[in-house]
Amino acid sequence: MNHWVIAPVALPFATALLTMLPLGLRAQRALAIASTLLLALISLRLVGLAGQGAEVYALGAWPPPFGIALVLDPLSAMMVTLTAFCGLAALMHALSGWDERGRDFHPLFQFQLAGLNGAFLTGDLFNLFVFFELMLIASYCLLQHGAGGARRAAGIHYVVLNLVGSTLFLVGVALIYGATGTLNLADLAMKVSSIAPHQEPAVRAAALLLMVVFALKAALLPLYFWLPATYGAAAAPVAAIFVVLSKVGVYAILRVHGLVFGPDAGPLAHAVDAWLMPAALATVAFGGIGALGASTLRELCGYLAIGSSGLVLVSAALGTEAGFLAAQFYLVHSVISVAALFLLADAIAASRGADGDRICRSTAMDNSMLYGILFFVLAIATAGLPPLAGFMGKAMVLVAALRDPAFGWILFIALTGSLLNLLALARAGIQFFWHCAHEPAPEIRESWRRNVSAAAFLAAVTVALAAAAGPIAAYASKSAAQHASAYAYGAELLKKGAEVLR
Amino acid sequence: MTFADIALPVIVALPFIGAVLPALAARASANRIAWAAAAVPLAILALLAPMLPEVFAGGAPRISLEWLPALGLNFSLRLDGLAMLFALLIPAIGILIILYARYYLSSDEPMGRFFVALLLFMGAMMGIVLSDNLLLLVIFWELTSLTSFLLIGYWSDRTDSREGARMALAVTGTGGLALLGGAVLLGHIAGTYEISEILAMGDLIRASDLYMPALLLILAGAFTKSAQFPFHFWLPAAMAAPTPVSAYLHSATMVKAGLFLVARLHPALAGTDAWFFLVGGFGLVTLVFGAYAAMFKHDLKGLLAYSTISHLGLIMLLLGMNTELAAVAAVFHIINHATFKASLFMAAGIIDHETGSRDMRRLGGLWRYMPHTAVLAIIAAASMAGVPLLNGFLSKEMFFAEALHVKELGAVGWILPLAATAAGVFSVAYSVRFIHDVFFNGEPKALQKTPHEPPRWMKIPVEILVAICLLVGVLPQLIVRPILDVASGAVLGVPAPDYSLAIWHGFNLPLLMSVVALAGGVAVYMSLQKLYRLHAHETGPWTGHRIFHGLHTGLLRSCAAASAWLANGSLQRYVAVLVGVSLLVGFVAFAQQIDPQQQTLLPVTAPAAAGWLVLVIATFVAVRRHRSRFTALIATGAVGLVVSAIFAYFSAPDLALTQLVVETASVILLVLVLRFLPQMSSLETLLRQRVRDIGLAALSGVGAGGIAWWLLTRPHHSISEYFLANSATLGGGTNVVNVILVDFRGFDTLGEVTVLAVAALGVMAMLGAGSAPREGTTPASRSVMLAKSAQILLPAALLTALYIFLRGHNLPGGGFIAGLVAGASGVLLYVANGIAWSEARLRFAYRSLLTGGLGIAFLTGAGSWLFGAPFLTSWHSHPHIPLLGEIPLATAVAFDVGIFLTVVGTIMLVLSTLGRLSPEGDEPWKPS
Amino acid sequence: MEALVASVIGILFAAGVYLVLRARTFPVALGLTFLSYGVNLMLFVAGGMVFDRPPIIGTREAYSDPLPQALVLTAIVIGFGMIAFFLALAVGAKGDLGTDHVDGREGSR
Repeated sequence: MNHWVIAPVALPFATALLTMLPLGLRAQRALAIASTLLLALISLRLVGLAGQGAEVYALGAWPPPFGIALVLDPLSAMMVTLTAFCGLAALMHALSGWDERGRDFHPLFQFQLAGLNGAFLTGDLFNLFVFFELMLIASYCLLQHGAGGARRAAGIHYVVLNLVGSTLFLVGVALIYGATGTLNLADLAMKVSSIAPHQEPAVRAAALLLMVVFALKAALLPLYFWLPATYGAAAAPVAAIFVVLSKVGVYAILRVHGLVFGPDAGPLAHAVDAWLMPAALATVAFGGIGALGASTLRELCGYLAIGSSGLVLVSAALGTEAGFLAAQFYLVHSVISVAALFLLADAIAASRGADGDRICRSTAMDNSMLYGILFFVLAIATAGLPPLAGFMGKAMVLVAALRDPAFGWILFIALTGSLLNLLALARAGIQFFWHCAHEPAPEIRESWRRNVSAAAFLAAVTVALAAAAGPIAAYASKSAAQHASAYAYGAELLKKGAEVLR
Repeated sequence: MTFADIALPVIVALPFIGAVLPALAARASANRIAWAAAAVPLAILALLAPMLPEVFAGGAPRISLEWLPALGLNFSLRLDGLAMLFALLIPAIGILIILYARYYLSSDEPMGRFFVALLLFMGAMMGIVLSDNLLLLVIFWELTSLTSFLLIGYWSDRTDSREGARMALAVTGTGGLALLGGAVLLGHIAGTYEISEILAMGDLIRASDLYMPALLLILAGAFTKSAQFPFHFWLPAAMAAPTPVSAYLHSATMVKAGLFLVARLHPALAGTDAWFFLVGGFGLVTLVFGAYAAMFKHDLKGLLAYSTISHLGLIMLLLGMNTELAAVAAVFHIINHATFKASLFMAAGIIDHETGSRDMRRLGGLWRYMPHTAVLAIIAAASMAGVPLLNGFLSKEMFFAEALHVKELGAVGWILPLAATAAGVFSVAYSVRFIHDVFFNGEPKALQKTPHEPPRWMKIPVEILVAICLLVGVLPQLIVRPILDVASGAVLGVPAPDYSLAIWHGFNLPLLMSVVALAGGVAVYMSLQKLYRLHAHETGPWTGHRIFHGLHTGLLRSCAAASAWLANGSLQRYVAVLVGVSLLVGFVAFAQQIDPQQQTLLPVTAPAAAGWLVLVIATFVAVRRHRSRFTALIATGAVGLVVSAIFAYFSAPDLALTQLVVETASVILLVLVLRFLPQMSSLETLLRQRVRDIGLAALSGVGAGGIAWWLLTRPHHSISEYFLANSATLGGGTNVVNVILVDFRGFDTLGEVTVLAVAALGVMAMLGAGSAPREGTTPASRSVMLAKSAQILLPAALLTALYIFLRGHNLPGGGFIAGLVAGASGVLLYVANGIAWSEARLRFAYRSLLTGGLGIAFLTGAGSWLFGAPFLTSWHSHPHIPLLGEIPLATAVAFDVGIFLTVVGTIMLVLSTLGRLSPEGDEPWKPS
Repeated sequence: MEALVASVIGILFAAGVYLVLRARTFPVALGLTFLSYGVNLMLFVAGGMVFDRPPIIGTREAYSDPLPQALVLTAIVIGFGMIAFFLALAVGAKGDLGTDHVDGREGSR
């Protein structure tokens, strides 16, 4: 029983409670930064821990499947780390003024982190629902941070769609519980693999409905509509953390459909892949189209996020170990780089005066050299060009897809998608840094100068990812292997869960 | 650990690291910056030198470092003959370019930025030619596209530079992506990405049925990079770059990358008919087309650009011919073209620099003003035309000779020599034009400045290159033979064949073709000038440049239109899609046979039937009259009550209670909210849309009902036995539902109350002070009756809450329900008396109530850490206390307290926030 | 009886979906309420449906399945929080945008 496992939930939760106290902004900021920094360190420690094998944390000392268990394995550890780093960057960015533009930014932000980490760590289907809701309510509130009509309108769309999604989630839970009588994912993996024929349709329906719910979160075609408007309206640091949020859907598909409806699921093995593949491919394509059609940099970023979710799920829908590995690898890279671009977009918008981040001819930025370099690096990263990890991830997806019947389509769409992204980013870059009047914008807010530090931090991380590609892939391959033998893995988890109590 | 093991990686890394030098020196003098930049290629040459003997001896030093094993991507570098040829060309010409650029760029231009980009590009090129791993090669390949984008766009305030850069990036970038696809396929066939291993598997690769797609994708990469027709148009557009860039990228290096790739993979892919017709075919067309188009360009650099395209075509054709000697000729012409074309570009740059114009219609008679430059340019141009005693002549002769005996074409074999001669004629013609139109042909017309010789040092690079043209032309055997042998040996994968590099081969067909080309070329030029009035010629509308521009803008528009059409900003459509998709997957899943595993059904009872009727009617009212909102609200409340009754009826007392209280709370909330929203809403959705919605609704009903029916008619086994068995003994409570909530699944509960708390925070942050709605607040009805009853009700309600709370662990009730009861009664008070009155009486700091509640719940959970137990581990006992009797004492109770407070806090907070918005809330209410 | 309950759930879903598809925030809120009624009942019946067997230990010899009841209780409360927030958002939107149309602009469809 290793208590570090619950830290990623407990720490932000406690921090949120402390920042709810009337302490004053400076104290809140200090608390938030310190705690998030600590969270990042802990998450790295957990990555190491998970590398030695999955850890099961039985809450309330009730043995799974009866109690709720948290599961720390390479996949969840990776996602928690991702959250911590993006969270840290978003927070750094927020400190340059965003957090003063509304009430309770810090508690809400910490609850957001707690919700995300809970969703990543939990090994229980209903508990996953609860943390989805926590994560969502926090995001509803954060989206409204800083007021503004656009945020209200976007908020209504976002909230309604997700509430309908939550209803579907519960329908899925009802079906699964009705058919198998359990909620623990590991237990489900074993029960589903020996499902009685008359219960098969219900479980299949559950699998598909849950896929729809997760696809809605991951902004998969045709359910991506909400994302560009929402991300475009959100405050910059919020948008940055939302990038992780949209990948929770991707994670949930990897986790639930990887573990429960994975290769060992008997008649239900790969129940969703047939649906997922075309949807994911279409998403990659439309991500590219939307990116090229975007009128602001933030909208462009939104479509980049959509496209990356698509490619990750294409890889996941291959249903192979290699595909699972490539999916994780690309996931990590795309989250970091898109989040970074969101933060940079904010800085650009701030230093372009009235035109903001509209992709059009405008006044020159006084610090365009630094911004230009950052934009160049991040454009390469997000378009999946060499020498950064996005390129390697894409190549891994293609290699994994070689034996798939749809290889031709995957090849064509993956490459076309990144071409469209390349054109879109080139267009934006040209307008921002080349096609501009020489005199800088009249009014530029002083407080924004520090902004790019967060973006630069994430950009540095993307470069580091490329350099450390080998070890990272090796690490991700561990959870890919677990996915390949879901049943054994489920059994192992339950055994561990029982052991820890003695 | 040999010298190469260190030298090779350093050679590739050096330009990337060295790129900081000019950046650091950016403030320093032009000379300093130039030296800082030149240091890198000099160092590269120095590092190469010690390895040359080994390579000339036929060796190929190699090093491989793991990078991403999961992908087969290694940092493998190899220096064989072909690699060496390019590895020498790139830095050598690079040095000349840097020297030239130092004088070409004016002092007020950011020279540092220029050299940084140039060095990055140099590094990418070195990476391409040294890579021994296909994926690594692709990486550097795309890097050349990216860095050249920066170089072409250097004069970023000029539209043509931006367009040229964008075009080059789009075309070569696309090619790079295709190349990635091809590389993946080729690696899949060969089972490895190490190039030296792939080259050894030629037969296996050519036999594979993936050979064709792989070949096509790889060639797409090569053709775009080497500007083969019809992908050539980006090259002339790239002439917007500063001339040093054109001289370097678009004559000597980047455009040669495509040729390099084709040559590199020659042993693995060449030898098939597909290869011959694709590589040779594209090469031939490009050769003739480029040469022809070049004659009509008035811009010096434009002429040189098309001539480059044509020469690239020539080399491509040679590589496609599948004969050994052709390969040798190809390598030879790569060297020669690099030398004479680079010098010609530099000359053109000098002319531009010193006259202010590149338009041959305005230039002319410059012989008098800049004789020295003229001599250099004339020699280089002559080499381009293939005049004897110059290097251009030799490789062109070899080309003619090869063109004469090609087997693949059979009967129509004469086409090739004919086309070759024609291309020769054209190239002579444009070379002659270059010389005549610029240096003779009358006087310069309307130039900004009076032409004069450039600074001394600006000519040095040109002189060096021209000298090479002459030397190679006169003493080929001595100068190029050795490198030609090893390089072409590497291309063929076998030692180079025997061939003669003599200038004189006696009277033979190739010589005749050369003579025809020279004579014909001059004649063509004359006739064009005299008869056609060349200077009046205008280019037609269908240039590749224009087509690309049209395509690009068209693509932009249609993309914007497509995404606007899909995401049209209508929530109703989005929800409809979401519902539709769910219905689709749901029905498909249930479509297969479902054997009716019926179990004995419960009988329908009278109360149940009655309840059913009420619910159906209420629902119908709510839907039918949803536009008159208050009615709909009341109906909804009624439905909620029936639902709670259903829970009670089927043995779920806790649920019934919860539903009841939540219902009350939310109805009150709805009433409050209704004050800010229109009481009625007009009917505005189209009939078509309403029909769609009714359809979706009906299907959803069928689907949900079906699922419920399925759930109700299956035998059910669950893990719940465990809870029933252990609730009392281990959980310390007999109300299993409550024990599950606060203990077995306490983590859910913690999350759930947190959701409530966060919602409250959000409401406060959104509607709290300062963000009141501008309009639409109607005063809430306030009745004395209600107020009085509320005052009496409140204490009673609080007592009830306490009671419900205490019994919760063993009987229906618990923290939630208690909290909801307390909260709801508070709500009632608000409604009855308005904000100010209630605020004055219940001075709870709701926020701290909420924080405290969450805090207690969290700390109870965290407390178990002190005992080394996992989060939320409970402890309980049942001490007997006089008067009160046995009362449950469990940590779970503390947890429940936390929940109670949070729930109360949430409800009151949300409510007071909404209440404050009402204007009438401010004026206090005096009790009568 | 099963048919009766199943039909109730179906009706609730149908009503919910229809109302959620309306153009104004208030009916949408009612729709969401209906959907949560429906789905809560569905989750509840996933544990089977019996008369007069509340899961209070020591009161009967057999009990209804307590777990779905706990889940539904959680779901009810979460649903309440969500609806509360949505209503507040609707009020805020009306205030800032001057309309209660779900797209934040009048007449858009």
